[in-house]
Amino acid sequence: MNDVKDRVQAALSQTGEEPLIEWRSDRKGVLTGWCRLGEAALILPAAEALVGLEGRLSTITAYLTDSARQRGVREIAYHFDLDGTTLTVTIELPLEDARVPSLTMIFRNADWNERELMELYDIQVTGHPDPRRLFLDKSIEPAAFERLIPFSTFTNGAASKALWNKVMTMSGTEKAA
Amino acid sequence: MATAPKNLSEPLLQLYRINAGSCNGCDVELATTATVASFDVERIGCSYTESPAEADIVLVTGPLTVRVREKVLRAYGEVPEPKITVAVGVCPISGGVFRDSYAVDGPVDRYLPVDVNVPGCPPRPQAILAGIEEAVLLWRARRDGVLPPPVASQPHPEKGAVSTGVRGKMDFNPAACVGCRMCEHVCAGGAIRFNEEFTGLRFTLWHNSCVFCGLCRHYCPTGALTVTDEWQLAHRQDQKYHLTTQGIMPYAPCSGCGELLLPVAPELLRVAFRGTGREIDRLKSLCTECRQKQSIGGRRR
Amino acid sequence: MTPSIITLGPHQLALEEPMYFKVELEGDTVVGLDVMAGHVHRGMEHLVMKRNLYQNITLLERLCSLCSNSHPSTFCTAVEDIAGIVVPERAEYLRAIADEIKRISSHLFNCAIMAHIIGQGALFKNVMQIREIMQETKEAIYGNRMDLAANCIGGVRYELTPELSMYLGQRMELMKAPLDELYRIYTTDPAIRVRTEGLGVLPRQEAKDYAVVGPVARGSGIAYDVRKKSPYGAYDRLNFLVATETSGDVRARASVRLREAQESVSLIEQCLTRMPDGKSCADILPEIPAGETIAKSEAPRGELIYYLSTDGSDMPARLKWRVPSYMNWDALKVMLKGERVTDIPLIVNSIDPCISCTDR
Repeated sequence: MNDVKDRVQAALSQTGEEPLIEWRSDRKGVLTGWCRLGEAALILPAAEALVGLEGRLSTITAYLTDSARQRGVREIAYHFDLDGTTLTVTIELPLEDARVPSLTMIFRNADWNERELMELYDIQVTGHPDPRRLFLDKSIEPAAFERLIPFSTFTNGAASKALWNKVMTMSGTEKAA
Repeated sequence: MATAPKNLSEPLLQLYRINAGSCNGCDVELATTATVASFDVERIGCSYTESPAEADIVLVTGPLTVRVREKVLRAYGEVPEPKITVAVGVCPISGGVFRDSYAVDGPVDRYLPVDVNVPGCPPRPQAILAGIEEAVLLWRARRDGVLPPPVASQPHPEKGAVSTGVRGKMDFNPAACVGCRMCEHVCAGGAIRFNEEFTGLRFTLWHNSCVFCGLCRHYCPTGALTVTDEWQLAHRQDQKYHLTTQGIMPYAPCSGCGELLLPVAPELLRVAFRGTGREIDRLKSLCTECRQKQSIGGRRR
Repeated sequence: MTPSIITLGPHQLALEEPMYFKVELEGDTVVGLDVMAGHVHRGMEHLVMKRNLYQNITLLERLCSLCSNSHPSTFCTAVEDIAGIVVPERAEYLRAIADEIKRISSHLFNCAIMAHIIGQGALFKNVMQIREIMQETKEAIYGNRMDLAANCIGGVRYELTPELSMYLGQRMELMKAPLDELYRIYTTDPAIRVRTEGLGVLPRQEAKDYAVVGPVARGSGIAYDVRKKSPYGAYDRLNFLVATETSGDVRARASVRLREAQESVSLIEQCLTRMPDGKSCADILPEIPAGETIAKSEAPRGELIYYLSTDGSDMPARLKWRVPSYMNWDALKVMLKGERVTDIPLIVNSIDPCISCTDR
């Protein structure tokens, strides 16, 4: 089984599920794989299986789109690199009290990614060795993205408004054509 | 360079840099003014210091993130009076593309007095030097307790001298504008506004929020926006909100019902039809409703 | 001996940007490190969701000015993939040219600062002066010395006229001898070797465990380069070597960067020779349907990855990226362990850290 598709399929089936993987090849022949796990906790065995394929954790994307919110879920996509092929494994979590296991024991570079999950989203990472804030100043409330998304309801253009008021009053009428 | 002739009897003025959360573009360009011979700040009577207590002139870059605010203010406070502050790049001046983020607390003049602004993203070293020269003039005036000299009547001495395609400030031609607002839509810096006024549609571009990327020109369907090579935009703080380009697209009455409308710009007709004929000339002065009525009424098939 | 803890900031670390380290010392030997990030955190992942796809081209270019072109070009590639836009071949070459020009400038800036830290003032100024050839070139072709504004959805929005192509070719010719000379100096000069050889070593296995990327990985013998592993744009038609070293020290990483700068000159020349005539941008205002995709590129500091999800509007449903520097900070723990406190700035500089990229 030299084909990366077969190897990934076999590896992920070690989770006890037979996940459906969608493979796409771009015009240069670069392959990306996309799959969803039935249970969030399966990300741990999935990661263990992928490390066996010399996989590397590229990054982790948490997101909360309007459509997912309507379904009552949030999503996290884990992006793995397999020597140039990118595999995205997505899990779904509840909106409230979302928890994922830390992958730091398998991929130590999950560390910062998971700290970001905790400070930007309302997600708990269980078993994280160092769950401190990473980027956000202590004066900023936690789960910053959570409060600010969706953006349709968030219109904090206060700084812009103040500046433009000055621009229009100080130069607006003076230069009227 | 522009204004201040170097006075050999004066000691070098000390410049202190504060990074208030910048993308590093302005900082890297400031580094060239310490290392590259042709941009050397010593030529204009300055040198860099690592110690705020020794500084005369403060150069601030970045939009002032929440996280650095206290550190920035502390460093600024350590610089003795008289001091002159230069905002380098549009981020400290207006927040630039980062304005309205939860993590950004600028513009910096909310927290400390700014004397000179150097727009650009990043400004070229020549523009930064011009801003520092202005700061030197202001510093001497403040030290001597006199009014600063008036702004030079020819503020752009090198304009036209540069034959390169430097992306400088944008220019706007109201006669070509169709009011589609695509420029406003694509502008990351929020530098463009349209206002519906009694006599017409007003276009305003605030150069202190513009990052000179020219995307507005790229997406403008009629070429109403152009990039000029005017890069020398350093100015004193009292000019901050005056640095605009404006234009009015006057309304005209519909030739059918008299309702005020924005007439179709000739440029749009050129783009759409590569020229106009009598029929188009007749339809173009009509409002949408009258146009529908008349063109349906006059439909030939 | 009782460990002591000191805090180092940008001035002590010779960084252009604010980043702070808590360093645990035994005597003057480093035994532990904590990286305190976030000072340049501008909330960009949040901002991009408030801005439409067009605004994000310009916003992302301001993530970091040293690798500024990599962001809009990779982001645009993601949008194009979702929209099924075929970028004209000429635009692929023009994108590669912009990326390689930025790579040379970025690598030279890092090497310049390295000379500064070692105390080689004349070399520092010399490298900055050589880098000026690139800065002038960028300004002449793109209109700005840092932010090129080269990319748009569907291709590029700059053109190389025959005159500009010839000019760029001449500028590349001008770079060759200085780059050869710098490579010789940085790899053989005794004063530099004594400061850089065997310093800040990241062995190959640790490089894998820490998942480092770019010249940091290649300096430790990992021949990973996105341009080869996941070819994009014009790179599947260009010839270049992936520079690697095995010693994993400060010298190795500098050597990789300088060889890459030489390769970049060759890549730009190949682009100029092979670039066909034709359009430089596909349809200017494409429909962008709902979809999700991954786009990757080899930025100056290594693998850059973008994830984009769209919902059929021109606002992103989710836009996430991970910069190469993000992967490399943690490996400093390995590189610094057991080294002297005075060598910290040199070792930190050797990962060519980008703070504005990391903090976003």
